[in-house]
Amino acid sequence: MTSSSAPSKKVSLSLAHCYSLTLTCLFFSVQALSKIASNRLQKELKEWQVNPPVGFKQKPTDNLQRWIIEVVGAPGTVYANETYKLQVDFPEHYPMEAPQVIFLHPAPLHPHVYSNGHICLDILYDSWSPAMTVSSVCISILSMLSSSTVKQRPADNDRYVKNCKNGRSPKETRWWFHDDKV
Amino acid sequence: MDNDPFLFPSIRERRKRRGERERGAAKGRAAMAPLPVPASVAKQAEQLKQDGNSYFKKERLGAAIDAYTEAITLCPDVAIYWTNRALCYRKRNEWKKVEEDCRRALQLDSNSVKAHYMLGLALLEKHDYSGGIKELEKALELGRGANPASYMVEEIWQVLSRAKYMEWEDSSSKRASRLQNLREVCEKALIDYYFIDASEAEDSSKESDHSQSQQLEYLREVFNKAAQADTPSEVPDHLCCKITLDIFRDPVITPSGITYERAVLLDHLQKVGKFDPVTRELLEPHQLVPNLAIKEAVQAFLRDHGWAYKMS
Repeated sequence: MTSSSAPSKKVSLSLAHCYSLTLTCLFFSVQALSKIASNRLQKELKEWQVNPPVGFKQKPTDNLQRWIIEVVGAPGTVYANETYKLQVDFPEHYPMEAPQVIFLHPAPLHPHVYSNGHICLDILYDSWSPAMTVSSVCISILSMLSSSTVKQRPADNDRYVKNCKNGRSPKETRWWFHDDKV
Repeated sequence: MDNDPFLFPSIRERRKRRGERERGAAKGRAAMAPLPVPASVAKQAEQLKQDGNSYFKKERLGAAIDAYTEAITLCPDVAIYWTNRALCYRKRNEWKKVEEDCRRALQLDSNSVKAHYMLGLALLEKHDYSGGIKELEKALELGRGANPASYMVEEIWQVLSRAKYMEWEDSSSKRASRLQNLREVCEKALIDYYFIDASEAEDSSKESDHSQSQQLEYLREVFNKAAQADTPSEVPDHLCCKITLDIFRDPVITPSGITYERAVLLDHLQKVGKFDPVTRELLEPHQLVPNLAIKEAVQAFLRDHGWAYKMS
């Protein structure tokens, strides 16, 4: 859930926060990977090719900095046999910073997935740790999908998506993670 | 050779001085030295060094070399004058001169990181891998002692890894061709042996054919096994940092028992947060302890698997 469900004072704060960061992000997105980042991503890619997480398929591209990953809903869940696409963008200082992970259109109907593809999952933002990998992030996302029993959008979907116009990154949102059951 | 590094040190050198005992010894030597350089001459030499430095910055290498040479003529016992001139020769790829100047600098100051580093480079240039590696290792050790996070340490590490990789390429290709020769001779000998065996015994049965092919197979297995260490594969996970996914250089262990590469873990504690990246337990920089056992394990692994020095 985003901060828009929080008291109004908090909302205005977080909006100011978002706008200022949008500018830096436009610049930031063209930054090449640092040496540490590209070294680590090459190793992750190699490991993925040998040992991909179950239910995921990475589409090979020349671009180490943006991975497109197909995910198939786990059997026995409401997303069984449905295929979605994740887009993973890596910042210059990955893994000291979390990758930006969003669903490409159409995003799955899920209480933590907004219609613009943004995912409300703490490890992608505040709870990121450099010991996590693309593979472990993917497994967390699949487990988030699997634990939902209803196909529906977050309650504040429309408001949030409206605020995210102009291609704002989910990493600029101040997220509120108050529900870890789903 | 005059081995006293403390005769006419620059101010910066003097700051680096460590150990009262050594200092006492140095004083003793200085008192016995034949002719101390007057302070005015030392000052003039310092000025020449400054001139050399500013020429160097402007890429005027010839002028810089002249200035350092003059400084050396006035005060031949200042290691820095020699290493600075060596740096100019390095830029000009005059490796013989780099080597000479570094050797002189090391006679004056055996702890000069730059002198060990550039001497290592010069030796590698003339394909003296083991000599070059020895100097680079010394430079790395001294550099880490002074400032583990400096760009010099990173640069030395890169060069050292490349050198070790080249050394491995060189020695492993020799080993491979020796092994290949031996393998061919052994296979031929085994076939000949069975051939003679078969011609002596009247009934060259299928059974002997079978054991021949089986033994040939074993022989190949033995040779493949012998070549295994030199075959590039994966570095075992327990020798790799959970953050870099790369083989450890300077491993440190946290109170949670997880080992990380020191430089990136410090970076994490500074930028991401004060917690152990795997266990998320609270973690402060002072709690890190060098993991010497893993460091030794890495060294042992690299000794037998030189290909692991390859950096992407």
